[in-house]
Amino acid sequence: MKHKFYFFKYPLIFWLITFVLIPSSAIFAVVFFSFHPTNFFSLPLTLSNFKKLFELHFVQIFLNSLFLAGGATIISLLLGYPFAFILSWLTPKKKKLALFFIILPFWTNSLIRTYSLVLLLGKKGFFNNFLLALGIVNTPLELLYTKIAVFIGLVYTLLPFMILPIYSSFEKMNKKLLEAARDLGASSWNVFFRIILPLTKSGIYSGCLLVFLPALGMFYIPDILGGSRDILLGNFIKDQFLFTRNWPLGAAASLVLSLIMIVLSTLFFKEKKIKFVHE
Amino acid sequence: MNKKKLFSTLYLFLIYAFLYIPLILLTIYSFNQSKFSLFWKGFSLKWYLSLFHNSFLLKSALNSLILATTSATLTTLLSLIGSLGLKYSPKANKNFWLAIINLALVSPDIIIGVSLLIIFTLLQLKLGFFTILLSHLTLCLPFGVITFLSTLEHFDFNLLEVAQDLGASEINVLRYIFLPLLWPAILSAWILSFTLSLDDVVISFFTTGPQFEILPLRIYSMVRVGIKPEVNALCTLLIILTFIFVGLAHFLLERNIKGGKRT
Amino acid sequence: MKKIILTLLFTFCLLINIAQAKELYLFNWSEYIPDEVLEQFTKETGIKVYLSTYDSNEAMYTKIKLVKGEYDLIVPSTYFVEKMAREGLLEPINHKLIPNLKNISPKFLNQSFDPENKYSVPYMWGSTAVCYNSARLGKGYIKSLNDLWNPELKGKLLLPNDVREVFGLALKKLGYSINETNPKHIEEAYLELKKLLPLVKVFDSDSPKHALLNEEVLVAVTWSGEAFIANSEDQNFLYAYPKEGYSLWMDSFAIPRGAKNVENAHKFMNFILRPDISAKISQEMGYATPNQAAIKLLPPEIQNNPIIYPSQEELKRGEFQTDVQDALLVYEKYWNELKNN
Repeated sequence: MKHKFYFFKYPLIFWLITFVLIPSSAIFAVVFFSFHPTNFFSLPLTLSNFKKLFELHFVQIFLNSLFLAGGATIISLLLGYPFAFILSWLTPKKKKLALFFIILPFWTNSLIRTYSLVLLLGKKGFFNNFLLALGIVNTPLELLYTKIAVFIGLVYTLLPFMILPIYSSFEKMNKKLLEAARDLGASSWNVFFRIILPLTKSGIYSGCLLVFLPALGMFYIPDILGGSRDILLGNFIKDQFLFTRNWPLGAAASLVLSLIMIVLSTLFFKEKKIKFVHE
Repeated sequence: MNKKKLFSTLYLFLIYAFLYIPLILLTIYSFNQSKFSLFWKGFSLKWYLSLFHNSFLLKSALNSLILATTSATLTTLLSLIGSLGLKYSPKANKNFWLAIINLALVSPDIIIGVSLLIIFTLLQLKLGFFTILLSHLTLCLPFGVITFLSTLEHFDFNLLEVAQDLGASEINVLRYIFLPLLWPAILSAWILSFTLSLDDVVISFFTTGPQFEILPLRIYSMVRVGIKPEVNALCTLLIILTFIFVGLAHFLLERNIKGGKRT
Repeated sequence: MKKIILTLLFTFCLLINIAQAKELYLFNWSEYIPDEVLEQFTKETGIKVYLSTYDSNEAMYTKIKLVKGEYDLIVPSTYFVEKMAREGLLEPINHKLIPNLKNISPKFLNQSFDPENKYSVPYMWGSTAVCYNSARLGKGYIKSLNDLWNPELKGKLLLPNDVREVFGLALKKLGYSINETNPKHIEEAYLELKKLLPLVKVFDSDSPKHALLNEEVLVAVTWSGEAFIANSEDQNFLYAYPKEGYSLWMDSFAIPRGAKNVENAHKFMNFILRPDISAKISQEMGYATPNQAAIKLLPPEIQNNPIIYPSQEELKRGEFQTDVQDALLVYEKYWNELKNN
């Protein structure tokens, strides 16, 4: 049976080659061309695009994005992990409904939901009106166009991508293990760190990946809620492709981004593997 | 134990509140008299009426649903099969394809969109449902594969072998052991892909043709002129429809189970 | 079941295509032509309109450049007509097929971005100027661009998230054209903007009305459509045309190269330029029409609305953007500089 599974990967590999590897390589090849005002890119071949990248404060832009994506990932994990845990203890019937209610909001267009958040967080928005009416604050809070609003927006958009993988790793965890550990006198602390956490690690890893990587390239949520005072990776690359139409520079930015991310995630993955072997 | 339960319920409630308050706002605004939906100017049903006359908007919503359903289903199939294959590949080989999957995940939408458009033009494909479906599969596939791989990580394949040794046919193994165990992952992958596909703008813009316009594109390009309350009305209707649909499915499923069809 | 439905849908679509060779593929900003107008066109001519939408000129340009023959009619803004025509992306327009062109006010024909309107037919126009909260700041608070650089406005200012518009402000303040290509002048503008940046709370070109109406900002440099909405929600939001000048924009119809239904595209343009149709569109959408025969049909409160139709005097100070070509890279460099400091 195992032997047969091995061949199952070929459709996927065919797909990855045709629609990811070839197009990406083509775009990355553009890195070595020069800017052309009307043709997107042209000869001569050059290496100067990488240098230009750093003249345009690419490091700063990268760090801005890293901060937002990292923050959003951590907040989503902190909110989503307990949520998935509680969910996995519900009765099967309730579980199905609860899961469905988590995903339902995400079938409404994200731009519409982001503008809803603008209505919610503004100085004359519902949240401030609510706080003012209750007398909790005297002057409206500054929420919209701050980093707080950006994080709220990012978490709001990405939370299910954290919850679902973690939830499915909780689902396949054998709950009897926890009872056994408890019966043997393990403290809650120990049960969590020695059993629950290691067993759901792969879910955490997938969830973080699925939140962090898309968040890194996201720009319209930070723009709308944060007032676009910072340039982010997503804006930068989009501007190079659409606005200045300097494809070589945009491709260079994307190449650097991809390389860093692939190295980081493979390192992370390898390290995790080793740990599993030791366990 | 009771305190714990209270705390859990409260926590669930807060998260749901966070997710639903913006939607409730949106629903309220769909009944707003004012055209530009900023301040409340009185109750009205006129946006629902004008929505039903807006055939372009309704058509694009229908297109979006067809596209998301198709691409989620195909993505789930392809990524389930592919992940099984990858799990049993040599490690170096597996890591290489995982890196490519991460590459797809980290590529900005604009790059995926433009590069796929170039590929489609080179292949002389007519832009439309087929090309946008191909591009959405590409967009969703990494999400599917990662979901399945993380589930398969702890999957005990001995179980399958034992079952086979005990004389179960391959199909029965698949049906009674494999699928039930993988069910949560299948559901997650499908839902994630459906969600992604339903919301994508940038890739869709480049890879669709004039005959297949989808809802996010219409909404996204509406921003410059101001999002019409008709869109709020449409979103509200879609939410209500989903509720009804799921309620019905839930009800039917329950009845089936009670009828003793469960094995 | 789903399969059957899908197959049926497909056959249905195919049948429609075969039955109607009369079709028009329109690539337009979303909600920029009322649906009734499209339906009326179909009713009168039997030509079916397929509408696709885009959210920026840049996105539309990239797609038109990469594909051929998918669309019959596009609506580029101002200098994109010039840029696309120069790159051979547009088909010339046959004026004989559009007799209603006579309805367009000569003020809006023969612009620098398309002399003799060889490639474009004006559709709607507007301005980018300054909208401010007169309830908080007092009437007449903004008269000149210098008023934007007022330290009092710290954290109260909104600028468009658009390089050209933002640099246009500083260039006008310095007495240059908004279409400056001289790197020295652009650098001077950059130094001016560096002083302005601490005052800026938000960069937004999509929906500045939200920030204005929420009183997150008190002054917003924005285009006329947004100011019109803010003003109709609350009359205290006034719109000022700075005395140094401001930028104008115009969206025009154009036919992309390789279009398959050129004749239908002409018919459509002619239909839109009919006074009753232009008036209907302008009234429904709240933008200015270049169609002088249509203006007369509009209600007086719209004809005389200073946000939609600036006075002759004010109009003279406005300037249309043109394509700055390579200088765009200089702008972009300073824009990065500006936002990253």
